[in-house]
Amino acid sequence: MRRQFRDTITDLAGHDEKIILLFGDISVYLFNEFKARYPDRFYNIGICENTIISIGAGLSSQGFFPFIHTITPFITERSFEYIKLDLCYNQFGGNILSCGASFDYAWDGATHHSYTDLAILRLLPNIEIIQPGSGKELDILLRSQYNNGKTSYFRLSDHPHNIDIPVRFGKGVVLKDSGSKITVMTAGPILGNVEEASKDLNVNLVYFHTIKPIDKDLIRRFKNTEIVVIHDAFGLYEAVCEVGNLSVSYYGMTDGFCSSYGTVHDARKKLGLDIGSIRKKVKDKIKKFSKS
Amino acid sequence: MNSRCKEIRKEILKISHASGHGHIPSSFSVIEILYAIYDTIKHNPDEPLWEGRDVFILSKGHASLAHYCILAEFGYFDLKKVYTVGSFMSNFGCHADRLKVPGIEASTGSLGHGIGLAVGIAKAFKIKKTDRRVFVVIGDGEANEGSVWEAVMVAANLRLDNLTIIYDNNMSHLRGLQIHNPAEKFKAFGCEIAEVNGHDIDALKNEIVKKASVIRAIIAHTKKGFGSKTLIANHYQWHRKSPNDSELEELMKELDEETV
Repeated sequence: MRRQFRDTITDLAGHDEKIILLFGDISVYLFNEFKARYPDRFYNIGICENTIISIGAGLSSQGFFPFIHTITPFITERSFEYIKLDLCYNQFGGNILSCGASFDYAWDGATHHSYTDLAILRLLPNIEIIQPGSGKELDILLRSQYNNGKTSYFRLSDHPHNIDIPVRFGKGVVLKDSGSKITVMTAGPILGNVEEASKDLNVNLVYFHTIKPIDKDLIRRFKNTEIVVIHDAFGLYEAVCEVGNLSVSYYGMTDGFCSSYGTVHDARKKLGLDIGSIRKKVKDKIKKFSKS
Repeated sequence: MNSRCKEIRKEILKISHASGHGHIPSSFSVIEILYAIYDTIKHNPDEPLWEGRDVFILSKGHASLAHYCILAEFGYFDLKKVYTVGSFMSNFGCHADRLKVPGIEASTGSLGHGIGLAVGIAKAFKIKKTDRRVFVVIGDGEANEGSVWEAVMVAANLRLDNLTIIYDNNMSHLRGLQIHNPAEKFKAFGCEIAEVNGHDIDALKNEIVKKASVIRAIIAHTKKGFGSKTLIANHYQWHRKSPNDSELEELMKELDEETV
């Protein structure tokens, strides 16, 4: 997805001189060509996540469109107040593109795992929260949102799903409506596992790439079904619940650090978010619901 | 004491007395600094968003009452409006909102944000190849925040010679995490430094107009509550206290007598 970021932004920068890239000493090598082509518009600011947000806000105040890029937990959890005040409260809009979603850096341990970003940032006013599941989704959503004056958070992952989905900002996507009384809702790359696990099961499947604003109208369409949110982060479940008067349950993160290492696939398996575990969970839900 | 700055201090006392709001000692330490800045930089009160203006940010946002009174002094709005400070429908909060008050470039209040914002603005001016400058006032207590030093390092690294930090060295830091020898610290972080009496307008203006090949840091030595011996001697007690009728009378008298 980072390569898609590079390709999309390189294309956009050719038409828009207001685009400025601020990097936190990551992905720099990947953008060597961009830097060579636009030396005044690419800055490796260094490892200082609070200040990089403030600098982006300062640039935004003078009419530029900053793209702030570094590792997810540091730019979201550490810099939360800087995002809140410098970007959102001051209304100096900008774009934050994080990398290292959920357990992309599983091997680095709990310091680098990141599953709260969507949940905490969606609490802020004047912000859009976007979790693209694929490079194509990132391309479409980046192009449509980067220059709208708001703060937009894009959560990039190195493990995209490979499902081709037509996306439009703020709109969820019904991938399967089989008239079932159970609806599975998910977001981002984990769709790959969720879709595979449930493809021959009698459930509806709804996908989100925009967490804020959440597509409440779409959720209400399924208000008479039992909704199961399956997600490898916090944030989507809370957003769905805000619709109100729904029967919703959550399957994914637990209240504990993931103290194991390995790969994203190992972490997902430990959490029960591998294909087999998700399938079992959905089948249990179908079984339970058919009895009730 | 400059007669205008004395009058501004009196207004601050009266506004605080009337509204029950304001950080008086902290405001009193920056009056001459703010006066010198607005008397030096390019700005236009009739057109606060004039494209050619220099930018000033008060990072120690709790001195907003001083900032409001200085902006009124330079013609941004009628001072009478500031008497509403802190009330529910007022545009004038105890920390300033850039969307409500003409002349306020950034909403501040939480410490440690102003220099980072200023770095972004200064960089924007560099990219635009304009000679506009950026000034930011921070407090010595504020320099406890790590983000202050992050931002200074970045500014030095980007060689932002259009950025000037004025460090209000009013000894707020003494009670907590002490910042020993700030001039040496800023120098070590890559700044050209100057030290000045922060209550001497001419000396301040002389330093504010100067440019260097790197970021500048002006260490302005000030006193919390400058102008009143009572405020100076009891600035912790007066940190966020407003005077009652008799206290107002006494503090006004001290200002007239220039007891410090």
